Amino acid sequence: MKYKDYYETLGVPRTATQDEIKQAYRKLARKYHPDVSKLADAEARFKEINEANEVLKDPEKRTAYDQMGSNWKAGQDFQPPPNWDAGFEFRGGQGSPFGAGGTFGAGADFDPSDFFETLFGRRGAGPSAGRRRTSAQGEDHHAKVLIDVEDAYRGAERTISLRAPVEGPDGRVQMQERTLDVHIPKGIRPGQHLRLAGQGNAGIGGGKPGDLYLEIAFNPHSRFRVDGADVYVDLPLAPWEAALGASVDVPTPDGTVQLTVPKGSSAGRKLRLKGRGLPGKNPGDLYAVLAIVVPKAETDAARAAYESLANAFPNFQPRPNS
Amino acid sequence: MNDTISSALRGSVVEDDIELTIVELCRACRTSEHEIELWVVEGVLQPRGESRESWRFGGDALARIRVATRLTRDLDLNAPGVALALDLLDRIAELESRLVR
Repeated sequence: MKYKDYYETLGVPRTATQDEIKQAYRKLARKYHPDVSKLADAEARFKEINEANEVLKDPEKRTAYDQMGSNWKAGQDFQPPPNWDAGFEFRGGQGSPFGAGGTFGAGADFDPSDFFETLFGRRGAGPSAGRRRTSAQGEDHHAKVLIDVEDAYRGAERTISLRAPVEGPDGRVQMQERTLDVHIPKGIRPGQHLRLAGQGNAGIGGGKPGDLYLEIAFNPHSRFRVDGADVYVDLPLAPWEAALGASVDVPTPDGTVQLTVPKGSSAGRKLRLKGRGLPGKNPGDLYAVLAIVVPKAETDAARAAYESLANAFPNFQPRPNS
Repeated sequence: MNDTISSALRGSVVEDDIELTIVELCRACRTSEHEIELWVVEGVLQPRGESRESWRFGGDALARIRVATRLTRDLDLNAPGVALALDLLDRIAELESRLVR
């Protein structure tokens, strides 16, 4: 297990006041919040920031953390000293983590590191005192599934792994991994959710299981861009194809189709293939975005061709307003 | 492809096929009815129906409430703050989708 330097994570000195810690956390949380930030590592960074704040904002946890000394370096191999948590209200270690009603403020998505769990325990991992004899519906579970744009055209199957708390016969809750085969329906769009009834966390005391919600995200594609139900693809043309018109092959996620490029097409023009976007009740359209690729004038013949082109258009004004 | 019978689980597409009650949304998003009411007042969500009990939310409310819940919790935003953030996120999404086109 690696030591985590929570002060370094929040960018504050070990002597920082609680207000300074709060301020540093808020600033970083706004910057790296996964719902707001577009940075690639936002989710991982936010998790670290949240965990650091979880410890440093709580004077008791902070004192216990500080007691382990300031000589540790982030990433250093670490084992907590014996009885490091003696005298604190919370009980650390694997055997006696927070039970139900623990004092975590970071909410249901809080996903602590091994380092945090070893020191402060894991929420929900203890005996669920007070809830044990009641019956309650299991919690809904959320997960994200990445698919390719082609999968949305044809439908697909994905095997997903979920880690969820399961209550044993002794009332102790343990994390268990399970896998599910899920059908991804044809026509699903990025950002949509699938609800699988009864596939969430198990109920307590005979309560119904919760539901599983899967958020669908698309892997970026080297060729196709998806906007809602519409799909965009760049279509490079030779200058003469754009000028004279041509019949060209256009790749679509569902195979190649032939498209007539009208004569006199300019770069940036979008040609719509109706109904060739993502399928569904209201299928999207596929747009071929024209680009013009200019061959290099590297041979005498090529240079002569460009010169005769120039001679053929003595009045052509590519920059009419300049 | 995949038209053959398989044992894979089939779900419903929340945004296309489902309307949600306030109770279902609270459970799915781990938030309170009170909080959802505040967001309805701010115009973040527009349910069908007159009273809280008869409210039906379109499936896209799920993603919206998930974001609203996280922003409230992680950044300590109040309902008007959440409404503003969601409006700005919508605008960013709209601008980004123009870049795609």
